[in-house]
Amino acid sequence: MNVSKDLIAASATPLILAILKEKDNYGYAIIKRVREMSENELVWTEGMLYPVLHRLEEQRLIESYWDTAETGRKRKYYRILKQGRQELQQQKRQWEMIHAALTKSWNEER
Amino acid sequence: MFDLETQIRSWSDHLRAHGNFTEADLSELESHLRDQIEDLETSGLSAEEAFLIGVKRLGNVDAISHEFAKVNSENLWKHLFVEPVDPQARQQNRRDLGLVVLFALLAGTLIKVPGWFGLGFDAPGADLFYVKNLSLFILPFIAAFFMIRRGAPARAWLAILAIFAGSALLINVYPSFEPHNTTYLSGLHLPLFLWLVVGVTYIGQEWRRCQGRMNFIRFSGEAFIYGVLVFAGVMVLGGFTTMIFQAIHVDVGRFMEDNYIIYGVCFTAMITVYLVEAKRSVVENFAPILARIFTPLFLVTMTVFLVVMVVTGQSPFLEREFLIAFDFMLAMVLGLVLYVISSRDLNQPANLFDYLNLALIAVALLIDAAALSAIVFRLSAFGITPNKMAALGENLVLLGNLAGLAWLYVQYFRKKCAFIKLEQWQTAYFNGYAVWLAFVAFVFPLLFGFK
Repeated sequence: MNVSKDLIAASATPLILAILKEKDNYGYAIIKRVREMSENELVWTEGMLYPVLHRLEEQRLIESYWDTAETGRKRKYYRILKQGRQELQQQKRQWEMIHAALTKSWNEER
Repeated sequence: MFDLETQIRSWSDHLRAHGNFTEADLSELESHLRDQIEDLETSGLSAEEAFLIGVKRLGNVDAISHEFAKVNSENLWKHLFVEPVDPQARQQNRRDLGLVVLFALLAGTLIKVPGWFGLGFDAPGADLFYVKNLSLFILPFIAAFFMIRRGAPARAWLAILAIFAGSALLINVYPSFEPHNTTYLSGLHLPLFLWLVVGVTYIGQEWRRCQGRMNFIRFSGEAFIYGVLVFAGVMVLGGFTTMIFQAIHVDVGRFMEDNYIIYGVCFTAMITVYLVEAKRSVVENFAPILARIFTPLFLVTMTVFLVVMVVTGQSPFLEREFLIAFDFMLAMVLGLVLYVISSRDLNQPANLFDYLNLALIAVALLIDAAALSAIVFRLSAFGITPNKMAALGENLVLLGNLAGLAWLYVQYFRKKCAFIKLEQWQTAYFNGYAVWLAFVAFVFPLLFGFK
Protein backbone atom coordinates (compact mmCIF):
# COMPACT_ATOMS: atom_id res chain seq x y z
CA MET A 1 0.00 0.00 0.00
CA ASN A 2 1.21 3.53 -0.73
CA VAL A 3 1.30 5.42 2.51
CA SER A 4 1.67 9.19 2.34
CA LYS A 5 5.07 10.69 3.20
CA ASP A 6 3.69 12.73 6.08
CA LEU A 7 2.08 9.72 7.66
CA ILE A 8 5.27 7.68 7.34
CA ALA A 9 7.26 10.48 8.94
CA ALA A 10 4.78 10.86 11.78
CA SER A 11 4.57 7.15 12.52
CA ALA A 12 8.32 6.52 12.33
CA THR A 13 9.09 7.63 15.87
CA PRO A 14 6.51 5.50 17.70
CA LEU A 15 7.32 2.49 15.51
CA ILE A 16 11.05 2.75 16.19
CA LEU A 17 10.52 3.28 19.90
CA ALA A 18 8.15 0.33 20.10
CA ILE A 19 10.62 -1.94 18.31
CA LEU A 20 13.48 -0.85 20.54
CA LYS A 21 11.27 -1.46 23.58
CA GLU A 22 11.25 -5.14 22.64
CA LYS A 23 15.05 -5.27 22.64
CA ASP A 24 18.15 -3.35 21.56
CA ASN A 25 18.47 -3.43 17.82
CA TYR A 26 20.33 -2.12 14.78
CA GLY A 27 19.07 -0.27 11.74
CA TYR A 28 18.71 -3.07 9.26
CA ALA A 29 16.85 -5.28 11.75
CA ILE A 30 14.56 -2.41 12.70
CA ILE A 31 13.50 -2.02 9.09
CA LYS A 32 12.94 -5.74 8.74
CA ARG A 33 10.81 -5.67 11.87
CA VAL A 34 8.70 -2.80 10.53
CA ARG A 35 8.07 -4.71 7.35
CA GLU A 36 7.15 -7.78 9.35
CA MET A 37 4.76 -5.96 11.66
CA SER A 38 2.99 -4.21 8.78
CA GLU A 39 2.87 -7.44 6.77
CA ASN A 40 5.05 -5.94 4.05
CA GLU A 41 2.75 -2.96 3.59
CA LEU A 42 4.96 -0.32 5.13
CA VAL A 43 8.16 0.09 3.11
CA TRP A 44 10.61 2.76 4.19
CA THR A 45 13.33 4.39 2.17
CA GLU A 46 15.97 2.65 4.20
CA GLY A 47 18.60 5.36 4.18
CA MET A 48 16.11 7.74 5.77
CA LEU A 49 15.93 5.64 8.92
CA TYR A 50 19.36 6.70 10.14
CA PRO A 51 18.84 10.46 10.29
CA VAL A 52 15.67 9.73 12.26
CA LEU A 53 17.55 7.46 14.67
CA HIS A 54 20.23 10.10 15.12
CA ARG A 55 17.66 12.74 15.83
CA LEU A 56 15.99 10.55 18.46
CA GLU A 57 19.43 10.03 19.94
CA GLU A 58 19.98 13.75 20.07
CA GLN A 59 16.67 14.15 21.91
CA ARG A 60 17.92 11.54 24.42
CA LEU A 61 15.02 9.20 23.67
CA ILE A 62 17.43 6.47 22.64
CA GLU A 63 21.17 5.88 22.83
CA SER A 64 23.59 3.94 20.67
CA TYR A 65 26.61 1.69 21.06
CA TRP A 66 28.82 -0.31 18.73
CA ASP A 67 28.89 -4.05 19.01
CA THR A 68 30.31 -6.89 16.96
CA ALA A 69 27.87 -9.40 15.52
CA GLU A 70 28.59 -13.14 15.29
CA THR A 71 29.63 -12.59 11.69
CA GLY A 72 32.42 -10.32 12.92
CA ARG A 73 30.85 -7.21 11.45
CA LYS A 74 30.50 -4.11 13.58
CA ARG A 75 26.98 -2.92 14.10
CA LYS A 76 25.58 0.17 15.73
CA TYR A 77 22.89 -0.85 18.19
CA TYR A 78 20.25 1.42 19.63
CA ARG A 79 18.75 1.19 23.10
CA ILE A 80 15.60 2.92 24.34
CA LEU A 81 16.00 5.31 27.29
CA LYS A 82 13.60 6.19 30.08
CA GLN A 83 12.58 9.37 28.30
CA GLY A 84 11.95 7.30 25.19
CA ARG A 85 9.58 5.01 27.06
CA GLN A 86 7.64 8.03 28.33
CA GLU A 87 7.54 9.46 24.81
CA LEU A 88 6.24 6.13 23.52
CA GLN A 89 3.47 6.14 26.14
CA GLN A 90 2.48 9.62 25.14
CA GLN A 91 2.51 8.83 21.42
CA LYS A 92 0.47 5.73 22.10
CA ARG A 93 -2.23 7.78 23.79
CA GLN A 94 -2.24 10.30 20.93
CA TRP A 95 -2.48 7.66 18.23
CA GLU A 96 -5.25 5.81 20.13
CA MET A 97 -7.15 9.02 20.48
CA ILE A 98 -6.88 9.74 16.75
CA HIS A 99 -7.66 6.16 15.90
CA ALA A 100 -10.77 6.25 18.11
CA ALA A 101 -11.93 9.50 16.58
CA LEU A 102 -11.44 8.21 13.04
CA THR A 103 -13.19 4.93 13.81
CA LYS A 104 -16.14 6.81 15.23
CA SER A 105 -16.40 9.10 12.21
CA TRP A 106 -16.29 6.16 9.82
CA ASN A 107 -18.96 4.31 11.77
CA GLU A 108 -21.20 7.36 11.59
CA GLU A 109 -20.72 7.60 7.80
CA ARG A 110 -22.39 4.29 7.32
CA MET B 1 33.95 -8.91 -13.61
CA PHE B 2 31.83 -7.69 -10.73
CA ASP B 3 33.81 -7.13 -7.55
CA LEU B 4 31.55 -6.51 -4.57
CA GLU B 5 34.23 -4.98 -2.33
CA THR B 6 35.26 -2.46 -4.97
CA GLN B 7 31.64 -1.56 -5.62
CA ILE B 8 30.89 -1.05 -1.95
CA ARG B 9 34.00 1.07 -1.53
CA SER B 10 33.21 3.31 -4.48
CA TRP B 11 29.65 3.63 -3.23
CA SER B 12 30.82 4.78 0.20
CA ASP B 13 33.38 7.11 -1.40
CA HIS B 14 30.56 8.60 -3.38
CA LEU B 15 28.62 9.25 -0.17
CA ARG B 16 31.74 10.62 1.51
CA ALA B 17 32.18 13.08 -1.33
CA HIS B 18 28.82 14.57 -0.42
CA GLY B 19 30.43 15.73 2.79
CA ASN B 20 27.38 15.41 5.01
CA PHE B 21 28.24 12.08 6.57
CA THR B 22 30.50 11.37 9.50
CA GLU B 23 32.72 8.32 9.28
CA ALA B 24 30.45 6.62 11.82
CA ASP B 25 27.41 7.30 9.61
CA LEU B 26 29.20 5.77 6.68
CA SER B 27 30.17 2.60 8.46
CA GLU B 28 26.62 2.29 9.79
CA LEU B 29 25.17 2.63 6.30
CA GLU B 30 27.76 0.25 4.90
CA SER B 31 26.92 -2.33 7.53
CA HIS B 32 23.26 -1.95 6.57
CA LEU B 33 24.06 -2.44 2.89
CA ARG B 34 26.11 -5.56 3.62
CA ASP B 35 23.28 -7.06 5.72
CA GLN B 36 20.88 -6.38 2.91
CA ILE B 37 23.17 -7.91 0.28
CA GLU B 38 23.72 -11.01 2.38
CA ASP B 39 19.99 -11.49 2.83
CA LEU B 40 19.31 -11.03 -0.86
CA GLU B 41 22.09 -13.42 -1.78
CA THR B 42 20.67 -16.12 0.48
CA SER B 43 17.39 -15.77 -1.36
CA GLY B 44 19.20 -16.63 -4.57
CA LEU B 45 20.31 -13.37 -6.19
CA SER B 46 23.79 -12.81 -7.60
CA ALA B 47 26.15 -10.44 -5.82
CA GLU B 48 25.65 -7.81 -8.50
CA GLU B 49 21.85 -7.94 -8.36
CA ALA B 50 21.94 -7.91 -4.58
CA PHE B 51 24.22 -4.86 -4.59
CA LEU B 52 22.04 -2.93 -7.02
CA ILE B 53 18.84 -3.68 -5.14
CA GLY B 54 20.49 -2.91 -1.80
CA VAL B 55 21.70 0.47 -2.99
CA LYS B 56 18.30 1.22 -4.50
CA ARG B 57 16.47 0.38 -1.27
CA LEU B 58 18.72 2.73 0.68
CA GLY B 59 17.24 5.46 -1.46
CA ASN B 60 18.27 8.51 -3.41
CA VAL B 61 21.72 9.62 -2.28
CA ASP B 62 21.00 13.34 -2.57
CA ALA B 63 17.87 13.05 -0.45
CA ILE B 64 19.59 10.96 2.22
CA SER B 65 22.58 13.24 2.27
CA HIS B 66 20.25 16.19 2.72
CA GLU B 67 18.60 14.56 5.74
CA PHE B 68 21.97 13.71 7.27
CA ALA B 69 23.09 17.28 6.76
CA LYS B 70 20.25 18.49 8.97
CA VAL B 71 21.20 16.14 11.79
CA ASN B 72 24.95 16.57 11.42
CA SER B 73 25.18 20.28 10.81
CA GLU B 74 27.37 20.94 13.80
CA ASN B 75 29.21 17.61 14.18
CA LEU B 76 30.82 18.05 10.81
CA TRP B 77 32.91 20.89 12.20
CA LYS B 78 34.39 18.82 14.97
CA HIS B 79 35.62 15.98 12.88
CA LEU B 80 39.36 16.08 13.23
CA PHE B 81 39.71 15.16 16.86
CA VAL B 82 36.87 12.67 17.07
CA GLU B 83 38.24 9.40 18.32
CA PRO B 84 37.78 6.65 15.77
CA VAL B 85 34.98 4.24 16.65
CA ASP B 86 36.60 0.90 16.21
CA PRO B 87 39.08 -0.18 18.87
CA GLN B 88 41.89 -0.99 16.48
CA ALA B 89 41.87 2.42 14.85
CA ARG B 90 41.63 4.02 18.29
CA GLN B 91 44.65 2.11 19.48
CA GLN B 92 46.60 3.16 16.43
CA ASN B 93 45.56 6.75 16.92
CA ARG B 94 46.83 6.72 20.51
CA ARG B 95 50.09 5.17 19.41
CA ASP B 96 50.51 7.87 16.76
CA LEU B 97 49.91 10.64 19.28
CA GLY B 98 52.41 8.98 21.60
CA LEU B 99 54.95 8.94 18.79
CA VAL B 100 54.32 12.60 18.07
CA VAL B 101 55.08 13.60 21.66
CA LEU B 102 58.06 11.26 21.95
CA PHE B 103 59.63 12.33 18.66
CA ALA B 104 59.12 16.02 19.36
CA LEU B 105 60.91 15.61 22.69
CA LEU B 106 63.70 13.56 21.11
CA ALA B 107 64.21 15.99 18.25
CA GLY B 108 64.27 18.96 20.63
CA THR B 109 66.76 17.25 22.90
CA LEU B 110 68.91 16.30 19.92
CA ILE B 111 69.14 19.97 18.96
CA LYS B 112 70.36 20.76 22.47
CA VAL B 113 73.02 18.03 22.53
CA PRO B 114 75.71 20.06 20.67
CA GLY B 115 75.22 22.76 23.31
CA TRP B 116 76.35 20.36 26.05
CA PHE B 117 79.61 19.90 24.18
CA GLY B 118 80.30 23.59 23.96
CA LEU B 119 78.60 24.20 20.63
CA GLY B 120 75.66 26.25 21.87
CA PHE B 121 73.94 28.76 19.63
CA ASP B 122 76.31 31.53 20.75
CA ALA B 123 79.54 29.58 20.28
CA PRO B 124 81.86 30.72 17.47
CA GLY B 125 81.22 28.79 14.28
CA ALA B 126 77.93 27.51 15.65
CA ASP B 127 75.86 29.29 13.02
CA LEU B 128 77.51 27.35 10.22
CA PHE B 129 77.04 24.11 12.12
CA TYR B 130 73.33 24.73 12.62
CA VAL B 131 72.81 25.96 9.05
CA LYS B 132 74.20 22.67 7.79
CA ASN B 133 72.46 20.38 10.23
CA LEU B 134 69.11 21.90 11.07
CA SER B 135 67.09 19.60 8.81
CA LEU B 136 68.91 16.56 10.20
CA PHE B 137 67.49 17.18 13.65
CA ILE B 138 63.82 16.97 12.67
CA LEU B 139 63.32 15.27 9.30
CA PRO B 140 64.62 11.81 10.37
CA PHE B 141 61.90 11.71 13.02
CA ILE B 142 59.21 12.56 10.50
CA ALA B 143 60.55 9.83 8.24
CA ALA B 144 60.54 7.38 11.15
CA PHE B 145 56.97 8.38 12.00
CA PHE B 146 55.81 7.48 8.50
CA MET B 147 57.78 4.26 8.39
CA ILE B 148 56.28 3.11 11.68
CA ARG B 149 52.81 4.06 10.49
CA ARG B 150 53.23 2.29 7.17
CA GLY B 151 54.95 -0.71 8.74
CA ALA B 152 57.96 -0.30 6.46
CA PRO B 153 60.14 -3.40 5.93
CA ALA B 154 63.64 -3.57 7.43
CA ARG B 155 65.16 -3.00 4.00
CA ALA B 156 63.43 0.39 3.72
CA TRP B 157 64.57 1.35 7.24
CA LEU B 158 68.14 0.56 6.31
CA ALA B 159 68.02 2.49 3.04
CA ILE B 160 66.48 5.59 4.60
CA LEU B 161 68.79 5.45 7.57
CA ALA B 162 71.76 5.15 5.22
CA ILE B 163 70.68 8.24 3.29
CA PHE B 164 70.28 10.32 6.44
CA ALA B 165 73.49 9.08 8.02
CA GLY B 166 75.42 9.50 4.77
CA SER B 167 74.13 13.06 4.35
CA ALA B 168 75.02 13.94 7.92
CA LEU B 169 78.49 12.48 7.57
CA LEU B 170 79.28 14.08 4.24
CA ILE B 171 78.04 17.51 5.12
CA ASN B 172 79.96 17.62 8.37
CA VAL B 173 83.19 16.13 7.03
CA TYR B 174 83.39 18.79 4.31
CA PRO B 175 85.56 21.71 5.37
CA SER B 176 84.30 25.25 4.91
CA PHE B 177 86.38 28.25 3.87
CA GLU B 178 85.57 31.96 3.59
CA PRO B 179 83.10 33.15 2.36
CA HIS B 180 81.30 29.86 3.10
CA ASN B 181 79.06 30.10 0.03
CA THR B 182 78.95 26.39 -0.62
CA THR B 183 78.16 25.67 3.03
CA TYR B 184 75.15 27.95 2.93
CA LEU B 185 74.08 26.44 -0.37
CA SER B 186 74.27 22.96 1.16
CA GLY B 187 72.32 24.17 4.15
CA LEU B 188 69.63 25.46 1.80
CA HIS B 189 69.42 22.48 -0.54
CA LEU B 190 69.89 19.61 1.88
CA PRO B 191 66.53 20.10 3.68
CA LEU B 192 64.69 20.13 0.36
CA PHE B 193 66.49 17.00 -0.76
CA LEU B 194 65.76 15.27 2.53
CA TRP B 195 62.15 16.36 2.32
CA LEU B 196 61.89 14.38 -0.91
CA VAL B 197 63.44 11.44 0.98
CA VAL B 198 60.73 11.88 3.61
CA GLY B 199 58.34 11.78 0.68
CA VAL B 200 59.54 8.28 -0.14
CA THR B 201 58.74 7.16 3.40
CA TYR B 202 55.36 8.88 3.17
CA ILE B 203 54.42 7.10 -0.03
CA GLY B 204 55.96 3.77 1.00
CA GLN B 205 56.40 0.83 -1.34
CA GLU B 206 55.06 2.55 -4.40
CA TRP B 207 57.19 5.67 -4.22
CA ARG B 208 57.90 5.55 -7.92
CA ARG B 209 54.23 5.66 -8.84
CA CYS B 210 52.48 8.77 -10.05
CA GLN B 211 49.50 8.64 -7.67
CA GLY B 212 51.63 8.16 -4.57
CA ARG B 213 53.76 11.13 -5.53
CA MET B 214 50.71 13.29 -6.20
CA ASN B 215 49.55 12.43 -2.69
CA PHE B 216 52.86 13.55 -1.29
CA ILE B 217 52.53 16.84 -3.19
CA ARG B 218 49.11 17.30 -1.64
CA PHE B 219 50.50 16.37 1.73
CA SER B 220 53.33 18.90 1.44
CA GLY B 221 50.94 21.74 0.61
CA GLU B 222 48.66 20.99 3.53
CA ALA B 223 51.58 20.44 5.87
CA PHE B 224 52.95 23.87 5.00
CA ILE B 225 49.65 25.60 5.73
CA TYR B 226 48.96 23.67 8.92
CA GLY B 227 52.56 24.16 10.02
CA VAL B 228 52.29 27.93 9.68
CA LEU B 229 49.04 27.95 11.65
CA VAL B 230 50.32 25.71 14.43
CA PHE B 231 53.54 27.67 14.66
CA ALA B 232 51.58 30.91 14.94
CA GLY B 233 49.82 29.33 17.90
CA VAL B 234 53.13 28.29 19.45
CA MET B 235 54.40 31.87 19.13
CA VAL B 236 51.27 33.32 20.69
CA LEU B 237 51.57 30.94 23.64
CA GLY B 238 55.24 31.86 24.02
CA GLY B 239 54.57 35.60 23.94
CA PHE B 240 51.74 35.21 26.40
CA THR B 241 53.89 33.20 28.81
CA THR B 242 56.70 35.75 28.74
CA MET B 243 54.21 38.54 29.33
CA ILE B 244 52.40 37.14 32.36
CA PHE B 245 55.69 36.21 34.02
CA GLN B 246 56.90 39.76 33.46
CA ALA B 247 53.89 40.91 35.42
CA ILE B 248 55.26 39.13 38.51
CA HIS B 249 58.84 40.20 37.76
CA VAL B 250 60.13 36.77 36.84
CA ASP B 251 62.27 36.82 33.72
CA VAL B 252 61.64 33.68 31.68
CA GLY B 253 63.29 35.05 28.51
CA ARG B 254 66.34 32.85 28.87
CA PHE B 255 64.29 29.71 29.46
CA MET B 256 62.04 30.51 26.51
CA GLU B 257 65.01 30.98 24.20
CA ASP B 258 66.80 27.85 25.34
CA ASN B 259 63.88 25.47 25.55
CA TYR B 260 60.51 26.70 24.47
CA ILE B 261 61.44 27.80 20.95
CA ILE B 262 63.39 24.60 20.22
CA TYR B 263 60.80 22.19 21.53
CA GLY B 264 58.06 24.38 20.06
CA VAL B 265 59.49 24.04 16.57
CA CYS B 266 59.90 20.28 16.91
CA PHE B 267 56.42 19.92 18.32
CA THR B 268 55.02 22.04 15.48
CA ALA B 269 56.67 19.82 12.88
CA MET B 270 55.48 16.57 14.43
CA ILE B 271 51.93 17.61 15.24
CA THR B 272 51.54 19.10 11.77
CA VAL B 273 52.56 15.84 10.17
CA TYR B 274 50.15 13.96 12.41
CA LEU B 275 47.26 16.34 11.74
CA VAL B 276 47.64 16.39 8.00
CA GLU B 277 47.91 12.62 7.98
CA ALA B 278 44.75 12.31 10.08
CA LYS B 279 42.72 14.90 8.22
CA ARG B 280 43.41 13.55 4.75
CA SER B 281 39.93 12.35 3.98
CA VAL B 282 38.09 14.52 6.44
CA VAL B 283 38.65 18.16 5.62
CA GLU B 284 38.89 19.73 2.21
CA ASN B 285 42.45 20.53 1.22
CA PHE B 286 43.29 24.17 1.56
CA ALA B 287 46.34 24.53 -0.67
CA PRO B 288 44.32 24.07 -3.87
CA ILE B 289 41.88 26.73 -2.70
CA LEU B 290 44.73 29.18 -2.16
CA ALA B 291 46.15 28.24 -5.54
CA ARG B 292 42.84 28.94 -7.25
CA ILE B 293 42.53 32.30 -5.55
CA PHE B 294 46.02 33.42 -6.48
CA THR B 295 46.43 31.97 -9.96
CA PRO B 296 44.43 34.76 -11.65
CA LEU B 297 46.10 37.41 -9.51
CA PHE B 298 49.61 36.24 -10.35
CA LEU B 299 48.64 36.01 -13.99
CA VAL B 300 47.51 39.64 -14.02
CA THR B 301 50.63 40.90 -12.22
CA MET B 302 53.00 39.00 -14.44
CA THR B 303 51.24 39.95 -17.65
CA VAL B 304 51.40 43.62 -16.67
CA PHE B 305 55.09 43.17 -15.82
CA LEU B 306 55.77 41.56 -19.17
CA VAL B 307 53.98 44.35 -21.06
CA VAL B 308 55.81 47.07 -19.12
CA MET B 309 59.13 45.32 -19.64
CA VAL B 310 58.60 45.17 -23.39
CA VAL B 311 57.17 48.69 -23.74
CA THR B 312 59.86 50.43 -21.69
CA GLY B 313 62.60 48.28 -23.21
CA GLN B 314 64.12 47.67 -19.77
CA SER B 315 66.12 44.51 -19.61
CA PRO B 316 65.59 42.57 -16.41
CA PHE B 317 68.39 43.18 -14.03
CA LEU B 318 71.48 41.20 -14.02
CA GLU B 319 72.50 40.75 -10.44
CA ARG B 320 72.23 37.49 -8.62
CA GLU B 321 69.45 38.78 -6.36
CA PHE B 322 67.31 39.35 -9.38
CA LEU B 323 68.05 35.93 -10.74
CA ILE B 324 66.88 34.55 -7.44
CA ALA B 325 63.73 36.63 -7.78
CA PHE B 326 63.05 34.95 -11.11
CA ASP B 327 63.76 31.53 -9.61
CA PHE B 328 61.22 32.41 -6.99
CA MET B 329 58.73 33.42 -9.66
CA LEU B 330 59.11 30.09 -11.44
CA ALA B 331 58.80 28.13 -8.20
CA MET B 332 55.70 30.15 -7.32
CA VAL B 333 54.11 29.49 -10.70
CA LEU B 334 54.96 25.82 -10.43
CA GLY B 335 53.36 25.69 -6.98
CA LEU B 336 50.18 27.37 -8.19
CA VAL B 337 49.89 25.13 -11.23
CA LEU B 338 50.69 22.04 -9.22
CA TYR B 339 48.07 22.63 -6.55
CA VAL B 340 45.38 23.45 -9.06
CA ILE B 341 46.24 20.18 -10.80
CA SER B 342 46.36 18.28 -7.52
CA SER B 343 42.70 18.89 -6.73
CA ARG B 344 41.53 18.23 -10.23
CA ASP B 345 39.43 15.24 -11.13
CA LEU B 346 41.38 13.42 -13.83
CA ASN B 347 38.30 12.66 -15.90
CA GLN B 348 36.69 16.06 -15.89
CA PRO B 349 36.98 18.00 -19.16
CA ALA B 350 39.25 21.04 -19.52
CA ASN B 351 38.00 23.95 -17.45
CA LEU B 352 38.83 27.60 -16.92
CA PHE B 353 41.66 26.90 -14.50
CA ASP B 354 43.43 24.68 -17.00
CA TYR B 355 43.53 27.57 -19.46
CA LEU B 356 44.62 29.96 -16.72
CA ASN B 357 47.40 27.54 -15.80
CA LEU B 358 48.68 27.41 -19.34
CA ALA B 359 48.51 31.20 -19.65
CA LEU B 360 50.40 31.57 -16.37
CA ILE B 361 53.12 29.17 -17.47
CA ALA B 362 53.40 30.87 -20.86
CA VAL B 363 53.86 34.32 -19.34
CA ALA B 364 56.36 32.97 -16.81
CA LEU B 365 58.37 31.30 -19.58
CA LEU B 366 58.48 34.52 -21.62
CA ILE B 367 59.63 36.61 -18.67
CA ASP B 368 62.18 34.05 -17.65
CA ALA B 369 63.55 33.67 -21.16
CA ALA B 370 64.21 37.41 -21.29
CA ALA B 371 65.82 37.40 -17.84
CA LEU B 372 67.87 34.33 -18.55
CA SER B 373 69.34 35.59 -21.80
CA ALA B 374 70.52 38.74 -20.05
CA ILE B 375 71.96 36.79 -17.15
CA VAL B 376 73.84 34.19 -19.14
CA PHE B 377 75.45 37.03 -21.08
CA ARG B 378 76.48 38.74 -17.86
CA LEU B 379 77.64 35.57 -16.23
CA SER B 380 80.25 35.00 -18.87
CA ALA B 381 81.49 38.56 -18.36
CA PHE B 382 81.64 38.56 -14.55
CA GLY B 383 82.89 35.11 -13.76
CA ILE B 384 81.41 32.12 -12.06
CA THR B 385 80.56 31.83 -8.36
CA PRO B 386 78.77 28.94 -6.63
CA ASN B 387 75.81 31.15 -5.82
CA LYS B 388 75.35 32.25 -9.41
CA MET B 389 75.67 28.70 -10.66
CA ALA B 390 73.14 27.44 -8.14
CA ALA B 391 70.68 30.19 -9.03
CA LEU B 392 71.18 29.54 -12.71
CA GLY B 393 70.82 25.78 -12.31
CA GLU B 394 67.63 26.20 -10.30
CA ASN B 395 66.28 28.41 -13.02
CA LEU B 396 67.00 25.88 -15.74
CA VAL B 397 65.55 22.95 -13.78
CA LEU B 398 62.33 24.86 -13.09
CA LEU B 399 62.21 26.11 -16.65
CA GLY B 400 62.43 22.56 -17.96
CA ASN B 401 59.64 21.48 -15.68
CA LEU B 402 57.30 24.31 -16.70
CA ALA B 403 58.12 24.00 -20.40
CA GLY B 404 57.21 20.33 -20.25
CA LEU B 405 53.94 21.13 -18.50
CA ALA B 406 53.11 23.81 -21.09
CA TRP B 407 53.79 21.42 -23.94
CA LEU B 408 51.61 18.72 -22.38
CA TYR B 409 48.84 21.22 -21.67
CA VAL B 410 48.80 22.17 -25.34
CA GLN B 411 48.70 18.51 -26.30
CA TYR B 412 45.90 17.95 -23.84
CA PHE B 413 43.82 20.84 -25.19
CA ARG B 414 44.30 19.49 -28.69
CA LYS B 415 43.04 16.17 -27.33
CA LYS B 416 46.29 14.48 -28.20
CA CYS B 417 46.85 13.09 -24.71
CA ALA B 418 44.97 12.39 -21.48
CA PHE B 419 45.34 14.61 -18.44
CA ILE B 420 47.11 11.88 -16.51
CA LYS B 421 50.14 12.52 -18.75
CA LEU B 422 50.63 15.88 -17.02
CA GLU B 423 50.65 14.29 -13.59
CA GLN B 424 53.00 11.59 -14.78
CA TRP B 425 55.41 14.13 -16.21
CA GLN B 426 55.27 16.23 -13.08
CA THR B 427 55.79 13.39 -10.65
CA ALA B 428 58.55 11.84 -12.75
CA TYR B 429 60.28 15.22 -12.83
CA PHE B 430 60.73 15.03 -9.07
CA ASN B 431 63.59 12.64 -9.75
CA GLY B 432 65.25 15.56 -11.50
CA TYR B 433 64.75 17.79 -8.46
CA ALA B 434 66.17 15.16 -6.14
CA VAL B 435 69.27 14.83 -8.31
CA TRP B 436 69.77 18.57 -8.62
CA LEU B 437 69.27 19.25 -4.91
CA ALA B 438 71.68 16.47 -3.97
CA PHE B 439 74.14 17.78 -6.54
CA VAL B 440 74.15 21.27 -5.01
CA ALA B 441 74.27 19.94 -1.46
CA PHE B 442 77.04 17.36 -1.94
CA VAL B 443 78.95 18.06 -5.17
CA PHE B 444 79.04 21.87 -5.27
CA PRO B 445 81.38 22.09 -2.26
CA LEU B 446 83.80 19.78 -4.07
CA LEU B 447 83.54 21.71 -7.33
CA PHE B 448 84.14 25.09 -5.74
CA GLY B 449 86.79 24.08 -3.25
CA PHE B 450 84.49 24.39 -0.16
CA LYS B 451 84.42 28.18 -0.47
